[in-house]
Amino acid sequence: MNPCSDAAPQHDNEGDGRWNSIHNRFLSDAKGKEADVVFIGDSILQALEHTEVWNQWFAPLHCLNFSIHRDQTQNVLWRIKNGELDHVDPKVVVLHVGTNNVDHSAEQICEGILEIVRTIREKHPNAYIVLPSLLPRGQYPNCLREKNSKINQLLREKVMNMNKVEMVFIDKGFIQSDGSISHHDMHDYLIPTNTACRKAFEPIYDLLQQILSESEPEKDLTPSE
Amino acid sequence: MTGEIDRKIGGLLEKKWTSVIRLQKKVMELESKLSEAQKEFMEGAPARGKRTPAEWIPRPPEKFCLTGHRATITKVVFHPVFSLMVSSSEDATIRVWEFESGTYERTLKGHTDSVQDIAFDHHGKLLVSCSADMSIKLWDFNQTFECIKTMHGHEHNVSSVAFSPSGDLVYSASRDKTIKAWDVATGYCVKTFKGHREWVRMVRVSADGALLASCSNDQTVRIWSTDNNANECKMELREHEHVVECVAWAPEAAAAAINEAAGGDNRRANHAGPFLASGSRDKTVKIWDVSTGQCLATLVGHDNWVRGAAWHPGGRYLLTASDDKTLRVWDVAHTRCLKTLYAHQHFATSLDFHRSLPYVISGSVDLTVKVWECR
Repeated sequence: MNPCSDAAPQHDNEGDGRWNSIHNRFLSDAKGKEADVVFIGDSILQALEHTEVWNQWFAPLHCLNFSIHRDQTQNVLWRIKNGELDHVDPKVVVLHVGTNNVDHSAEQICEGILEIVRTIREKHPNAYIVLPSLLPRGQYPNCLREKNSKINQLLREKVMNMNKVEMVFIDKGFIQSDGSISHHDMHDYLIPTNTACRKAFEPIYDLLQQILSESEPEKDLTPSE
Repeated sequence: MTGEIDRKIGGLLEKKWTSVIRLQKKVMELESKLSEAQKEFMEGAPARGKRTPAEWIPRPPEKFCLTGHRATITKVVFHPVFSLMVSSSEDATIRVWEFESGTYERTLKGHTDSVQDIAFDHHGKLLVSCSADMSIKLWDFNQTFECIKTMHGHEHNVSSVAFSPSGDLVYSASRDKTIKAWDVATGYCVKTFKGHREWVRMVRVSADGALLASCSNDQTVRIWSTDNNANECKMELREHEHVVECVAWAPEAAAAAINEAAGGDNRRANHAGPFLASGSRDKTVKIWDVSTGQCLATLVGHDNWVRGAAWHPGGRYLLTASDDKTLRVWDVAHTRCLKTLYAHQHFATSLDFHRSLPYVISGSVDLTVKVWECR
């Protein structure tokens, strides 16, 4: 059995039950709030919610962000199978997960992500699923960085022909010419800063706008008065 | 050689001397201009210093920015008599404020989930509130500010409440797709209106109490007769292309402006009304003649969901609050946006216009309630 696609809650290492509390909060948010876009995933998306970029670009689109720090593919899968997407009716689901599956192989992680995509598809046959690529990590080249880029390649091939699944490459422009990543982009060499989010998530923002305005009548942009 | 330098320096000194005086004069000119501009800013244009109550509209900056709620503000309403206003929030509380001084008065606690809507009866002696906890509560506003009654019956989130003009009944709208009428004296549900196919977002009673207007996620606005024998939906207004978030009955004074809007360029239309405004997630506001079911005007300009609407008591303007973070003042007769107030840091969810004093209040997801003075 592939541990990445075997739904499981995050292990409560610290013993304060926070992961469960967050999951329960997401469940109640899903019931009470209506969102056009749901972000679901790991630390990267969770950090995004606390940036200026989020307030400026994503909040006005009516988003919910169901991302938890340190989540791995099997954790996100568990949360989805346990109701987080049951009471929402999003037009788009943005999924980013996998970078925290440090013990697993690229193939396993890719399969885990695909399992999540299938589960989302089952629950929301008409929603777009947007997959931002995994970001590089670590100040200097390392095996996790290589693995992330391998996952991106594998995943791209697999989702290329899927209907309403869009993979967006957001990992360009972080590795400098000497192979290092600047702390201005990722203060801990993993989590993107506000500036980095602006760089990375602009294509996501463009895509979301495009998808959300698809059904809208064309707007008359001629300036009046 | 020295003579030349002396002449040069002497010339410089003279220049500096005169420039000081010139600059001094300039400073004085600018200062007087500034004070004029400030005065204009505070009073609107100079000629508009004395606006009549029918013409005053809210102007930035806000008079007060009130903080205290810990979650999204869902609704703001003025007290009909005292200089009080009330805000409800997703933090499950209701807060009472004095709007002329901007002071916090008290908090009403009792609901266990988001408070969705609040309304006063005609005299302001009772406040009704509804919540995602599926209950409706009545609060005594005469003396104790206590919750005096809790009414259960809806099977889901209660999104809106309104008093009948007589104050005998409370109407409520819910995500369970129904509208219910409750007897205030006994607390019993006396009638259930069924017809909406989705979550009912808001219910409002016409001034004479004969009609209800409701709007829903099913993208319709519906008109119901409150008459006990009629049980069916009287009319279905179907033109919005997304969830309809809010409805507001027009005051009688608005008839002239609405007829002008409906009449087009030359011909005077003659619609009797009553009239209703509705705001939707399709970003538009529509004005309807409820007697015929005709949409008379569509106001386009907001860049995001329209969440709240309130008529100017003078009837010439309609005010709306939107997720584009603005409040807009619409000149109804000319169906155009007269003024845009960049009111909040996040979605503007609700607004209210005081029926006799020059104040507008707004609430937002940014956790603030703002008081705007009209000029």
